[in-house]
Amino acid sequence: MNRRSIVLLALVLVALGALTVPGESQAPIKIGVIEPLSGPVAASGNYVRMGAEIARDWLNAKGGIGGRKIDLLIEDNKSDPKEAASAAEKLIVRDKVPAIMGAWGSSMTLAAMPKLEEYGVPMVVETSSAASITKRGNPWIFRISPPSEMEALGLAQYVDKLGVKRVDFLAVNTDWGRGSITAFGDMLKKKGAAVGVAEFMEQSATDMNAQITKIKATGGDTLFLTTAVEQITLVMKQAQEQRLTRKIVTTGGSSSPTQLIKQAGAAAEGSYHIVFFMPWFPESMPDGKLAKAFVDEWAKRGHPFEGLTEGFRGHDGIATIAEAIRVAGKDDPKAVQEALWKVSLMGVNGPIKFEKDGPAGKESGQSKPSIFVVQIRDGKVALPDFLAKK
Amino acid sequence: MTRAGGWLVVVAALTLPLWLQSPYHLHVAIMAGIFAVLAMSLNLLLGYTGQLSLGHAAFFGIGAYTSALLTLKLEWSFWPALAAAISLAGAAGFLIGRLALKLRGAYFVLVTISFAGVISLVSINWIELTNGPLGLPGVPAPQLGPWSLRAKTAYYYLVLAAVALSYVVCRRLVRSRFGRALVALRENEPLAESVGVDVTHYLVLAAVVSAGMAGLGGSLYAHYTRFVSPEVFLFTYTVTMVIMVVAGGKGTLAGPLVGAVLFTVLPEALRAAASWQWQMLAYGVLLILLVFFLPRGIVPRLVASFPARR
Amino acid sequence: MAELLQHLLNGLVLGGTYALLGIGLTLIFGLMNVVNFAHGEFYTLGAYLAFAALALAGLDFFVALAAAIVAGAAVGWLCEITLLRPLRNESIDTTMLVMIGVWIAMQNAELLVWGGVAKSIPHPFPTAPLVLGPVAIAPLRLFVLVLAAGLIAASWLLIQKTKLGRAMRATFQDRDTAALMGVGIGRIHAATFAFGSGLAAAAGALLGPVFLVYPSMGDLASLKAFSVVILGGLGNLPGATLGGLLLGIAEELGAGYISSGYRDAVGFVIIILVLLFRPSGLFARQERIA
Repeated sequence: MNRRSIVLLALVLVALGALTVPGESQAPIKIGVIEPLSGPVAASGNYVRMGAEIARDWLNAKGGIGGRKIDLLIEDNKSDPKEAASAAEKLIVRDKVPAIMGAWGSSMTLAAMPKLEEYGVPMVVETSSAASITKRGNPWIFRISPPSEMEALGLAQYVDKLGVKRVDFLAVNTDWGRGSITAFGDMLKKKGAAVGVAEFMEQSATDMNAQITKIKATGGDTLFLTTAVEQITLVMKQAQEQRLTRKIVTTGGSSSPTQLIKQAGAAAEGSYHIVFFMPWFPESMPDGKLAKAFVDEWAKRGHPFEGLTEGFRGHDGIATIAEAIRVAGKDDPKAVQEALWKVSLMGVNGPIKFEKDGPAGKESGQSKPSIFVVQIRDGKVALPDFLAKK
Repeated sequence: MTRAGGWLVVVAALTLPLWLQSPYHLHVAIMAGIFAVLAMSLNLLLGYTGQLSLGHAAFFGIGAYTSALLTLKLEWSFWPALAAAISLAGAAGFLIGRLALKLRGAYFVLVTISFAGVISLVSINWIELTNGPLGLPGVPAPQLGPWSLRAKTAYYYLVLAAVALSYVVCRRLVRSRFGRALVALRENEPLAESVGVDVTHYLVLAAVVSAGMAGLGGSLYAHYTRFVSPEVFLFTYTVTMVIMVVAGGKGTLAGPLVGAVLFTVLPEALRAAASWQWQMLAYGVLLILLVFFLPRGIVPRLVASFPARR
Repeated sequence: MAELLQHLLNGLVLGGTYALLGIGLTLIFGLMNVVNFAHGEFYTLGAYLAFAALALAGLDFFVALAAAIVAGAAVGWLCEITLLRPLRNESIDTTMLVMIGVWIAMQNAELLVWGGVAKSIPHPFPTAPLVLGPVAIAPLRLFVLVLAAGLIAASWLLIQKTKLGRAMRATFQDRDTAALMGVGIGRIHAATFAFGSGLAAAAGALLGPVFLVYPSMGDLASLKAFSVVILGGLGNLPGATLGGLLLGIAEELGAGYISSGYRDAVGFVIIILVLLFRPSGLFARQERIA
């Protein structure tokens, strides 16, 4: 061998040696995160990621789990189910994560689910709302976000106070929008309200004037709107231009009322919003101190305030997984899955504890998150008028 | 490419699961195989007839949905469902082929895009049939007699067989009278017509085979990922196929294969190499560079560098 | 009746911007034979520039619009001379592929720079709608319509009346003869691409304040632009204008009277029908040679 090869060999051996030096106790705990970080819903995916990072940093500041730091392995699912499945495969096989949080959209989550079963790795679902996710008999799914039916039930107690008699729906043409229409429609019919028309908009559509014109003609008193904040802004502005005068209720928790006030201005006045986190009055959340701390940390990092209504999901998802790993005592996927059934913790949204959902023997876990209603009044977010103390 | 090189590739492909131990890598190999079938199908139209079909994802999606729906709702077995998927996609190809009678070039491109657009919207809105945006989860894995082909290794061989079949079909077509007529069509259509080449007939045939092959790819995709949703009609799938064919080398037999492998491995490699903010930007830049330095594609450049020995 | 008129008005406003996008692309696709998938990205670029100028630098609305157009044209010019010129002798698929790369790179660069959160562009117009009899229109939209019409007219003038316009038309009718007559082919190609991109950026800057600005807003715009080009006939400016208006109105009527879920399908179906019965476009005079 010539001299150059000997030096090269030596370098390689040193490098290999360096790789094996860290002891078991120093190796970080890896948690996988799959979110849409590019594409049309990049904003939401990034907010969730930001919330997850806050959870990670808080936990690491307290020493991590069992002395080991938490490492988040973040993958972009590009709003494409095929990518969500590939990302899950890579995280599980190559990175050997014991648990994953994801994947935001329901189709992405559904696409990743077969991988979870194939390899036996649990996933905490933080945003997806399709009922089928927890009803498919996949025991590796644990959801902390509410399916549309649960959300509708959460609103049921206020329907009379809202004075809803004739309802029309305008929703984004995805599983979320459609599921919402079905769930809320059923709930409202049970409460004796009449359901008018259900109109749809494509996810990337910017002009909803045609749909609004149709809705205007029905003579209803309330419009239920389900879509992301950008489209809500556009709908409100266009509804104002067409002089649509009726109550607007947005569902799904993605309405980011602060952003609406900024971008839709007076057009958003008076509208009601179902949210799962109230960053405007964090003290009213089930754990006021935690909520306030989260809001403050978010602001400290310079993240936009409007992202809080989605960012908290990232925090709660990671906190849940971390708690399960702590209870399990090790970062093994099966142990984590069993531990998830035993966890009971307080997230920013409220208490998190999983109940069985789906076919017997292969139940998924579903938590019962807290659901809130806020209203935009006088250009600010406030408790709805029917709840305001006299 | 030399004969020895060709045989080396075949042996490597046959023994892949032995030396690629990680299931993740096998997953990438399976996806590459599925896209190889798709790329070869697009190449038939794009590379050989010179017609650019930018709605190819429609045939892919039709194949995927047909196969998924038949096995899920009507409980057909995989193999007849596969045959139905190929047939239905082929029928759609027949439709497009007939349209091409009147149109060439840019116009054909737009009809294919529009066709894909309409099919995509139907899959989202015709809830009773396709379950709309919620998609079809739980598509069953194929069975070969008593054996289930769910395991990755088994599925890999299924996909490999499909790739080999598609390659052979393409090769046969291209080297036959049909292929020569296609080339005549591509090079100089009025002249070809004047010497009696039945342009219509060959275009339609090319479209049918191309679409059917894409349907094959769709069915394979549906039974591997076991989840089909309207996203299969996304324009990005068509764009990916186009990238694979043109960058690999259109109008060559090996081009789409090389393109498929490269552009399936590349995004996954970027996933490992770059953090999520930079992945797609790097992908775009790499694509630009590739086209810039290898405008005819990879395979033609390789062939030029290694001329066949006589 | 009021509903119909409202739909027509909405469609007109939308159609004006589709026309702007279409004119730009008909020159690039129709004349230069480049399948420009990045056309929508210039639209997005225009919108982000308008945002930067208005929301960040606090400039005047018209200055912002002008800046967006200039920047769009400049980036387009750069694209042409660095990427398209060296590939000019390659096949249409190669240039298409390079523009796909530009599309992916530009969109993700915007995502990186601006983030995925949609931006709203402040504008100086009152939000209360102007009521004209049975219909209502927001002042901003009226402004957009007027400006779009102005830009379209200016484009027509440029192509028909100026020396540059004549040189463009000559180049694309018969390149070799034009070269023989002393026309700088390279310059014309660059100018055409710049012009088309500048128009796309203008459309983006105009529509930015009406809607919102986010990185993937250009994807649908590209597709609509291609539809308009086909409707009007490749390289046909008046055709693209009318085609744009027609598409806007047809979409509005389709969404209003048929089904809002299938709104975009209206555009597709129209294209298919047009191509089946009048392949050279609704407004072209000659039949295209197959």
